[in-house]
Amino acid sequence: MAFVLTSPSHQPLSKLFLVRRGVSVKLSHSIINRRHPNPNGSRLGFQRPYSSSSSSAVAAASVTPLAESGERASGSPSLGELVRPDFPILDQEINGVSLVYLDNAATSQKPSTVMKALNQYYESYNSNVHRGIHFLSARATDEYERARKKVAVFINAAESREIVFTRNATEAINLVAYSWGLTNLRPGDEILLTVAEHHSAIVPWQFVAQKTGATLKFVGLTEDETPDLNQFKELLSKKTKIVVVHHISNVLGCILPIDEIAAWAHNFGAKVLVDACQSVPHMVVDVQKLNVDFLVASSHKMCGPTGVGFLYGKIELLSEMPPFLGGGEMISDVFLDHSTYAEPPSRFEAGTPAIGEIIGLGAAIDYLTGIGMQKIHEYEEDLGNYLYQSLRSVPNVRIYGPAPSEAVHRAALCSFNVNNVHPTDLATLLDQQQGVAIRSGHHCAQPLHQYLGVNSSARASLYFYNSKKEIDVFIEALKDTIGFFTSY
Amino acid sequence: MDSVAFPTKLFLLHPNPNPNFPSRRTLRVHCTIRQINNPLSSDSPRLKLRRLVSEFESLPEPLDRVKLLLRRASSLPPLPGPDRVPANRVMGCTAQVWLSSSMDPLSGRMRFAADSDSEITRGFCACLVSVLDEASPEEVMAMKTGDLAALNISGAMDSRVNAWHNVLVGMQKRTRAIVASGEGRPPVQLFPSLDVSADGIKAKGSYAEAQV
Repeated sequence: MAFVLTSPSHQPLSKLFLVRRGVSVKLSHSIINRRHPNPNGSRLGFQRPYSSSSSSAVAAASVTPLAESGERASGSPSLGELVRPDFPILDQEINGVSLVYLDNAATSQKPSTVMKALNQYYESYNSNVHRGIHFLSARATDEYERARKKVAVFINAAESREIVFTRNATEAINLVAYSWGLTNLRPGDEILLTVAEHHSAIVPWQFVAQKTGATLKFVGLTEDETPDLNQFKELLSKKTKIVVVHHISNVLGCILPIDEIAAWAHNFGAKVLVDACQSVPHMVVDVQKLNVDFLVASSHKMCGPTGVGFLYGKIELLSEMPPFLGGGEMISDVFLDHSTYAEPPSRFEAGTPAIGEIIGLGAAIDYLTGIGMQKIHEYEEDLGNYLYQSLRSVPNVRIYGPAPSEAVHRAALCSFNVNNVHPTDLATLLDQQQGVAIRSGHHCAQPLHQYLGVNSSARASLYFYNSKKEIDVFIEALKDTIGFFTSY
Repeated sequence: MDSVAFPTKLFLLHPNPNPNFPSRRTLRVHCTIRQINNPLSSDSPRLKLRRLVSEFESLPEPLDRVKLLLRRASSLPPLPGPDRVPANRVMGCTAQVWLSSSMDPLSGRMRFAADSDSEITRGFCACLVSVLDEASPEEVMAMKTGDLAALNISGAMDSRVNAWHNVLVGMQKRTRAIVASGEGRPPVQLFPSLDVSADGIKAKGSYAEAQV
């Protein structure tokens, strides 16, 4: 297939910005400059053009953003600008250019308060939880259990013992698959998923299906590349024992009506497990309103430390489930030949947990709650639409998932491909030459990519600390990169 | 020839404690593979790598190194359709990579051809093929990912997405399998996996053995 260029040559960034490298730029509303002055001037606008391989060429770049974004036109700082000083990691140069971090669906950055909480734990009260009687252990236990309460309140669980801490969301799904699944599934039973699930939501159920004789059924996509809700209803039956579904797709960006899906599933007596890794960090999620049976999310995607995820489960279900891992903490009494199990959530938290990291997750929730999840969601919706529309304006770009509209809301991420340019090549040069961090590959959603007829895609994903200005930089960098690959 | 004669940077990350490789205990190929007495003979992989490193080191700008890589990609012949099969996939790359491997029955040297749907990865493949095609199995096994770090192109060398690492390891796994087959030993599973069934979970191949 021939690749048709709208312009015979790539357009260097030097034409798009009017900022001289090394000269401070006046960003009247920029909290970045006000609170964290960068000795090199503006944090943005230093992306490197492909027009010359000499770094000195960058020095000539002089700029004013062509696209005056809404956030600046409004006259008040955007949420992204306001919170930016809380994320010092973003204020750095990568390969000589200012970092633009757009890989938030993979992992988020952490605010200073989270690092402080982690540090405080290790400096002031590092101790094991639940079993010590000394002061440090009591304090660690208090903070650990306080974090559990924070998670419960954050997703509106009825009680904090419905929250089980795990290593990550993957482990939380495996916990349900092995504990609930192996106990409740029989030959002929069906597990209903969509083709857009993350590998971590598919593979554990493949294991369990193979061991129990249950069958996996998959809902496909509609023409606008959203999981087909009509097919969902058609595939549900009395054979369906559990529905495993994402809340927000990490590739398509679509948001599913989990409350409706849960109601349909419950009509057939099926349980519902929601992969909320891409929704809990970005919007208000109310497990009681959604009426789901299980829900999993990951700390590191919501400003918290790595090594922590959590499972929400209705207490009546958790109480009936056998342990997933054996060890300390999860037992009540141990005899040589048998043990009696502790009550949830301890039953599912064998061994010493990631105490400091869980306390750090609590600090992340405090931080997010301080901003307000509704505010974050509204800001990201605006930002996400801006990303989608900006990306759509780039020739030969194909964005996956539904187009945003009054009725269709998308998450603030776009997976896309460019004609005749491999996404890994794009991501490599965007990083190396432009300092823009995006993801390339199948995003742990190979079945979805197979369904879409591609092997991989590029993905730009936002969080509330990103700005429209960064999207502008990304889009211009992308145009430059495409130009490079079609003319080198 | 001693490794210290190479540019220091070349072996900085993974110094070769035994420049007179092979490690026969590991490879067990001494009966069938000719000993390479001069590792810096005109066509030795070390010399080829040294030339390649010099070529890349002469370009201080990262973009120029990428352009060189892309020129290398252009010169790599496309892999014939029958070789672009799942069995020839190199796993672990974010791009698709196919690697075809065989041993020349007369010389006992390895023959490699590779391809990718990513141009940059094709460039990596082209470099590796140019260095290791027609190398002895021992020379293939002696190459370390760190040796390629001196090319200083992009990415963390040991990252799971790194094409250098994955393609090189792929070449070494296939070499090991071919040598084992030639000696009448069962080849190690290239892609060890777990078979999960109602009867239980069984390991298929050893992950540790599959790693070179």
